[in-house]
Amino acid sequence: MDFSQTAERISSKIEQKGQTVDPKKIEVKLRRLVEEFGVQPAEAERSVTNELAKEFNLTGIGMTGGGAGGGTGSKGDRSIADIAPGEWVTIEGKVVAILSPGSPAIAQSGIIADATGAIRFVAWAKANAPKMNEGAWYRIESAVVDEFKGISNLKIHSGTAIKPVDEDRPLIPSTAKISELGPGIGSVRAKVVQEWETTHERMLQSGILGDESGTVKFVIWKEAGKEKLAVGGVFTIFYAQVDEFNGRLSLNLSAATIIQDDGDIIVTGGDSEMRGIIVQIAPGSGLIKRCPVEGCNRALSRQNYCPVHEIQLKYVYDLRIKGWLDDGKKTYNMLLQREVVESLAGMTLDAAKELAENNPLGMDEVFLRMRDAILGRYVLCRGREIDNRLLVRSCERLKMETGEHAALLNRAGGVP
Amino acid sequence: MSAFGAPSQGKRNGGFEREPARRVFAAELRECRYQFREGDDEKSPTFVLLPTGERCNRVFLVGTLTEKHRQGDQNIFYRGRVADPTGTFFVMAGSYQPEAMQQLAKIETPAFVAVVGKPNLYQTPDGAYLVSVRVESITVVDRETRDLWILDAARSTLDRLDTCAAGTAPDTLRIKEHYPSLDPETFRKMAYEALAQVKI
Repeated sequence: MDFSQTAERISSKIEQKGQTVDPKKIEVKLRRLVEEFGVQPAEAERSVTNELAKEFNLTGIGMTGGGAGGGTGSKGDRSIADIAPGEWVTIEGKVVAILSPGSPAIAQSGIIADATGAIRFVAWAKANAPKMNEGAWYRIESAVVDEFKGISNLKIHSGTAIKPVDEDRPLIPSTAKISELGPGIGSVRAKVVQEWETTHERMLQSGILGDESGTVKFVIWKEAGKEKLAVGGVFTIFYAQVDEFNGRLSLNLSAATIIQDDGDIIVTGGDSEMRGIIVQIAPGSGLIKRCPVEGCNRALSRQNYCPVHEIQLKYVYDLRIKGWLDDGKKTYNMLLQREVVESLAGMTLDAAKELAENNPLGMDEVFLRMRDAILGRYVLCRGREIDNRLLVRSCERLKMETGEHAALLNRAGGVP
Repeated sequence: MSAFGAPSQGKRNGGFEREPARRVFAAELRECRYQFREGDDEKSPTFVLLPTGERCNRVFLVGTLTEKHRQGDQNIFYRGRVADPTGTFFVMAGSYQPEAMQQLAKIETPAFVAVVGKPNLYQTPDGAYLVSVRVESITVVDRETRDLWILDAARSTLDRLDTCAAGTAPDTLRIKEHYPSLDPETFRKMAYEALAQVKI
């Protein structure tokens, strides 16, 4: 090992900070570590650098592991995509979003990205770290990666050094397919498939985003400058927070950079497809009444009673079927909404209302007719499986396939 | 006998898993000789062991309702015969299954029917066995549904035979004990003959 060269490198770093140090002394320290104590040269360089930094009370030159040999300080850097919880890391990245801190103990939080990926960062108030600006590049040295709710976080503590990087490097994040997303930060190009009624006053918009690979729930919280996404629109979304709850992912777009995109995406994936027979239709299927209170929409009891808003006489009629689909191996709880019920049972909502009004059995007559029309029939259902319940988007009767028949005949006759 | 097989069972219920309805031809169900209960709980499901080596708590069958009659004075119940290409299912619906009984009472024979129900094994005083299906629901269907069922039942039977040939499933081991003289391969022939009756 060429100790003088390494010593030169270390001393020049120290000198950049306005301190002077004798390279000969550094060389002695290095030589001692390597030759007497059998320390790896890279580790020796790291150790000596840090020791001197401490001695002169310098920040920003300490090295983390692995920084062997080469010339520039960036050799010790890590790619954001590669870092894992429990590590001490040095990264260079661009602050792509500043989030509102959730607690007074947090001075600043946001998202920092490099070409390989992005991670959430949190600067503790105690760390006294300089505030970072959105859109600027920084070198963050000796930060700790930890994990909170399954999501990696970069913790900026009192030992972390933050240095602005003066150049604005081009950064084009790569987008992932929805099916490839995992908890953390993700970028996607997706279409707004569905918009839901907001369930919280602080919520600006929620719904479903989809691409060729699948669909995912999204939410945008109310904040200045935030706008709703148009349903049916295609957007490139950079640096959305991907949260996981009960095993399902959802995208928080509040801090994301969203760019409206041209073109269209054929959202196909994410759906389950099941064949089987409808073995049971549960009570509460057929023609039902729903609570008219804005945002409620709960099914009313026979006495027009909503579990939340009590008696509601200006109810809204709807059709639905709750039932069980059975493929012979397993059964699936399923929920069919109005459009699906109308096409499967061959009865429109208006026809059902008329039938209920003109029949002594009322709504029961609708239930019985629908039961007779679909129970015990072979169907193909497509939809999303949520909490062991299949939310059916389309449901059609199966048809005989001659190829299937021939294949089974061969299979049965194939062995004597 | 309890009312736990009533259709209202299908409610959402934490941890509860609904037993799937097996597709079985009449000629196979007829051969069942062993019924068992898994677990000691009063609500534990009972199963008949199919000769092709699968437990069966519920069946789905489609065939022709050829005959039905009312029985009993105090406790009215209906019995019916449903024919498939391989033989006859005996179905019944009593006052514990009022909805099923009303459905069955309404249907005019002959008609293609789809039946979901629970198989039960009985032994007559003279030692003969009878497998009867307690109906959970019965609806009138068309010929296409009947044909689809024959394909489905044949496929399920062949799948069970394949599992049987692999010889590792716990219920496969059970059939050697309870049906030592039955050759599972006879059910392959049965499936073939049933398929051959489907006219495309």
